[in-house]
Amino acid sequence: MTEDVRTLLADACAFYRDSRRASALLREALDHLDEPLRVGVTGAAGSGKTTLAAALGDWPSRALRDLELVDDPSPSTLTDASVQLLRHLEPDELTTLRPTASSTFARQTAVDTVLVLARADETGAGRIDALLTAKQLARRAWREDPVCSGFQGVIAVAAQLGYGARASTDDEFELLAAFAAVPREELERYLLSVDAFTDPAFPGPVSAETRRSLVTRFSLFGVKLALTLIRTGCDNRLKLSAELVRRSGLGELQDTIAGCFAARAEALRARTAVISLETVLQAEPRPYSDRLAARVERFSATAHDFRELRLIADIRGGRTALSGEPAEEAVQLLGAQGTTPEERLGLETGSDPQDVYEAGLDAVLRWRHEAERPDRAPAERAAAHVVVRSVEGLLVQFTG
Amino acid sequence: MTAPAWLEVLDETLDACRAHGRADLAQRLHRRRDRPARGPRIAVLGFAKQGKGYLVNAVLNAPVCPVGDAPTPAVPVEIGYAAEPGATLVGRAEERVEVPVERLTGEVGARPAGSLRRVEVGVPRDLLSAGLVLVDTPAVGDPRSPRTMAALDVLADADAVVLVSDATTELGPAELALAHHIRTWCPHLVVALTKIDVCPSWRAVAERNRAALSEAGIDAAVLPVSSTVRFAAAKAGDQELNIRSGFPELLGWIAGQVSQPPETRAALLAAVSVRAAAAELVETLRLRAEAAGQEAGVDQATLLHRTQRRADELRRRNSRWQNLLSDEIADLQSDAEYDLRERTRRIVETIDETFDRGDPVKVWDEFGPWLDRTLAEAVETTYTFTADRAEWIAQAVAATFGVQYDLAEVTPPESGADQIAEVRQPRIERFKIGQKAFTGLRGSYGGVLMFGLVTGLAGLPLLNPISLGAGVAFAAKTISDEGGMRLQRRQAVAKMTAQRHVDDVFLRFSKDCRDAIRHVQRRLRDHFTALADDLADELSRERETIIAGSAERERRTARLRREIDRLAALHQRAGELGLRAGRAPKELSA
Repeated sequence: MTEDVRTLLADACAFYRDSRRASALLREALDHLDEPLRVGVTGAAGSGKTTLAAALGDWPSRALRDLELVDDPSPSTLTDASVQLLRHLEPDELTTLRPTASSTFARQTAVDTVLVLARADETGAGRIDALLTAKQLARRAWREDPVCSGFQGVIAVAAQLGYGARASTDDEFELLAAFAAVPREELERYLLSVDAFTDPAFPGPVSAETRRSLVTRFSLFGVKLALTLIRTGCDNRLKLSAELVRRSGLGELQDTIAGCFAARAEALRARTAVISLETVLQAEPRPYSDRLAARVERFSATAHDFRELRLIADIRGGRTALSGEPAEEAVQLLGAQGTTPEERLGLETGSDPQDVYEAGLDAVLRWRHEAERPDRAPAERAAAHVVVRSVEGLLVQFTG
Repeated sequence: MTAPAWLEVLDETLDACRAHGRADLAQRLHRRRDRPARGPRIAVLGFAKQGKGYLVNAVLNAPVCPVGDAPTPAVPVEIGYAAEPGATLVGRAEERVEVPVERLTGEVGARPAGSLRRVEVGVPRDLLSAGLVLVDTPAVGDPRSPRTMAALDVLADADAVVLVSDATTELGPAELALAHHIRTWCPHLVVALTKIDVCPSWRAVAERNRAALSEAGIDAAVLPVSSTVRFAAAKAGDQELNIRSGFPELLGWIAGQVSQPPETRAALLAAVSVRAAAAELVETLRLRAEAAGQEAGVDQATLLHRTQRRADELRRRNSRWQNLLSDEIADLQSDAEYDLRERTRRIVETIDETFDRGDPVKVWDEFGPWLDRTLAEAVETTYTFTADRAEWIAQAVAATFGVQYDLAEVTPPESGADQIAEVRQPRIERFKIGQKAFTGLRGSYGGVLMFGLVTGLAGLPLLNPISLGAGVAFAAKTISDEGGMRLQRRQAVAKMTAQRHVDDVFLRFSKDCRDAIRHVQRRLRDHFTALADDLADELSRERETIIAGSAERERRTARLRREIDRLAALHQRAGELGLRAGRAPKELSA
C-alpha cells in the first residue's frame, strides 16, 4: 500500500512542481511515509493532555514502541491519528469535537480518532464508583450518541491515577497498606477531603508532607480506591498497581491505540499522505488534476484496512447485529488483536503453517456462509463480507 | 402610597428601549417593574458538571436537585418554603401538576422537551421561611441552546446570583464572560468554588480566580465550598466539619441578601437594571450614530464628484456600445450573406455533377426531395448561425455596461425554411418505342441502300445479306445517337430548372436574413438605449439626493446625540438611586 501511495504522491509532486506551496506540502507528506506513526493528543485546556501523554508515553511497551505521541499538536503538524480528550460527555462539549473534515477521503476513512472521557475519577463528585460510572457513560455514549459513533472508541480514563499506580513504589504501597490497617470508622473522616487527609491530627506517624505527595500523585479518589482494594485482597504492590491501572482505563486505551493505530501504522500513514494530496487538489484545482483525484478515490475504495477498522469500531460500539462469540471472532479476524495471520485466527505465534491455513480455510467457509444467508439483513451480510475479505487476504499469503 | 422614585426612571428607560427597537431589553425591564413584592430570589448558575445540584442540596441539607450523572432538568427549579415537601411542574401555559419530591427527576424526564416552563419545589427549611427562593438553573453552555437561554432568563428576576465553578480548573474565559453578564444585570454575585475536598490545589485556584475577577472589574467574592464535607458534617452532626465545608460563609452571604429591606432591594435592582439597559441602548445608538457619521464623513463635494465621474463614464460607454453594435451588425450582415451564398454554390455544384452524368428520368424522383431537404438545411444552418451571432453581439454590448445588466431578448423571427416551395419537376421528353422504330427504319433504309449499291457493283442484288446486315447495324447506331441527343437535352432542362429553383430560394432567404438581422439590430438598440437612459436618470436622481440628503443626515445624527445624552442622564439618575439604596455606583460613563 505504501508503495502505491508513494508513486501517487511522486506523480502529484511532478504535477505540482511549479507551485511552491503544494510541492512543499506533498514533499512533507512523502517524507512522513518513512517516519514513525504520529499520534496527537488533543483536548481543551485542563483536560489533562500532558498527564495522559506522559502516562502513555512512559509505558515501555512493544506495541507502542514505534509510535510518536505529540502533546497538543499544532494544526499544521501532520498527525496520523489522534486521542481526543474531553472532560464531560455533555452535548455542548460533544458538538465542539469534530470540525467536519473538508476532504471526502478523510470522511470516508475516518478511523483515526479515539475519544477519551478524561479525568474519569472526578465523575460524580469523586464517589468510590466514579470510574465504573464513567466507564458506563463512555460505553453508552459510544453506543447511543451519533456524535460518538465515528470514533474508534470512547474510553473513560483516569490518567493521573493510572500513571501514579504504574509508577508506584514499594514505600507508597507500605504507606497505603498501613493506612488500610487503620479501622475504617477511624479513618473515614480523614478521607473526606484532601484537607482532612493532610490534617496534622491524622492518626499515625506519617508526615503531612508525605500524605500530601501521596494524594497529589494518586488523587484522593485514588487513595480511597487503593485502600478499598488493599482491604479486599490486593496485598502486594504489583497486584494493587495492576488493578489500579486496569480500573483507570489506561490499559484499555493502550490496547485500542496498539490495535487500531500502531498495528495499522502503514495504512494510517498512507491515509495521511493521501489526505495531504486531496487538500492540495482541493486548494489548487487544475486541468487534468481530476486524474489524480480519481486515483485517490480508487485508493480509498480498495484500501481494506479502513473498512476493517470501521467495522471493528462498529462491532465493539454495538452498532451491528453481531454480539457475543461471533462478534469476538469477527473483531479478531478483522485484526483488532493484531494483524498477523496467527493473531487474526487466535493461534499461538509460530504455529504450524498447515494448521494456520486450515483454520483460515475453516473461518472463510463459515463466514462466507454467513455472508450469503438470505435471512440476514443486508447490513449484516455486508459486514460478514468484510470479514470474509480479511480472511481471504490472509489465506492469499499461503498460496503465494 | 406614592410610587417609588425608581419607577419613573425605569419607565422612562423602558420607553426608550421600546422606541429604539430593543424589545428584548424592554421586556426585561418590564419583568423587573411588574415583579410582585416578595422575598429575595437567589439564582444558582454555572456550566455543566460543576456541582451545581450538589451545592443547592447542600445549602438546603435536602436531596432536592438531581446530582451526579442524572440529567439535570432543562428548566429552572424554584425552591421555596412549604410546611410539607412537594413539587409542582409548571407547563408552558402555566398549567400546574403536583408531583412528589422524590419522583421529581423521573417526572421531569418523562415530559417532552420544551413542554415545561419551570418546576416549583417546596421544602420545610428555616432558611427559606423568610420568603427566600433558590433557583437552580439548567447548565449554561452553547449560547444558542434553549437550556442556556432558560438559565440566563432567570437573571431577569434574580436579586442575587451564586455562580458555581469547581476547583479542578480556574475560571475560564466563558465563565468570566458569564460572571460579567450576571454582574451587569444583577446587583449581587458570589462565586462558589466547589469540589475543594478532592482538589489539593484549591487554595491556589481560589486565589487565581479572585485575581481574574478583580482584573475583569467584576465585584464578586470567591467562597470555596465542599458539598461532600457538608453532607458528612450534617450526618455526623459535626460542627467543626461543617465549618470546614465552607458552607457557613455561603449561608451567611445568603442571609445577608435576605436581611435587606424589600424597598432597598427593589430600588437597587431597578437601578442596576436601568443602568444595564441604558448602557446597552447607548451602545446601540452610538453604533448607529457612528454609521451615520461615517456616511456624513464623506463630504458632499466628493459625492458629487463621484456622480460626475460616473456620468462621464456613462457617456463614454454610450458611444462605445453604439459603435460596437453597428460594427458587429455590419459584419454579421456580410458574413451571413456569404455563408448562404457559399452553401447554395455548393448545392449548385452538386446539381451540375448529378445531371452531367445521370439521366433526369431515372434520378429525378430521388433528386427532387434531396434538393428540397438540402436547401432547407442550408437555410436553417445560416439562420442558426445568425441567431447565435446575434446573441453573442447582445452579450458583448451588455458587457460594455457591466455584467449586472440584463441582456435583451434577441431571437430573430422564424427562419421559415419549412415554407420553401418544392422544386417542380421539369417537362422531360422520353424516347418512346414508336419513335425508336421509326428512327431505326430510317437508319436501316440508308444502310441497305448504301451497301446494296456498293455490293451491286459486285453483281449482287440490292437486298443481299451484306446490305441487310449493314441495314441492321445502321438502324442500331441511329437509335443510339438519337437517344444520346435527347438525354443531353433532358439533362440541360433539369439542370436549368434546379438551378433556377436554388436561385429563387437564395434570393428570398438572403432578403429574409437581412431583415432578421436588421430586426435584431433594432431590438438591441432599443434595449440598450433604454438602459442607458435609466442609468442617466438614476445618476441625476442620485445627484439630487446628495444635495438634499446631507441636511437630513445631520438632523438624524443630532437626534441620536440628544437621545444618548438623555440615556446618560437616566443612567446617572439610576446610579443615584442605587446610592440611596446603600450602594455606591461604580461605572458612570454613558
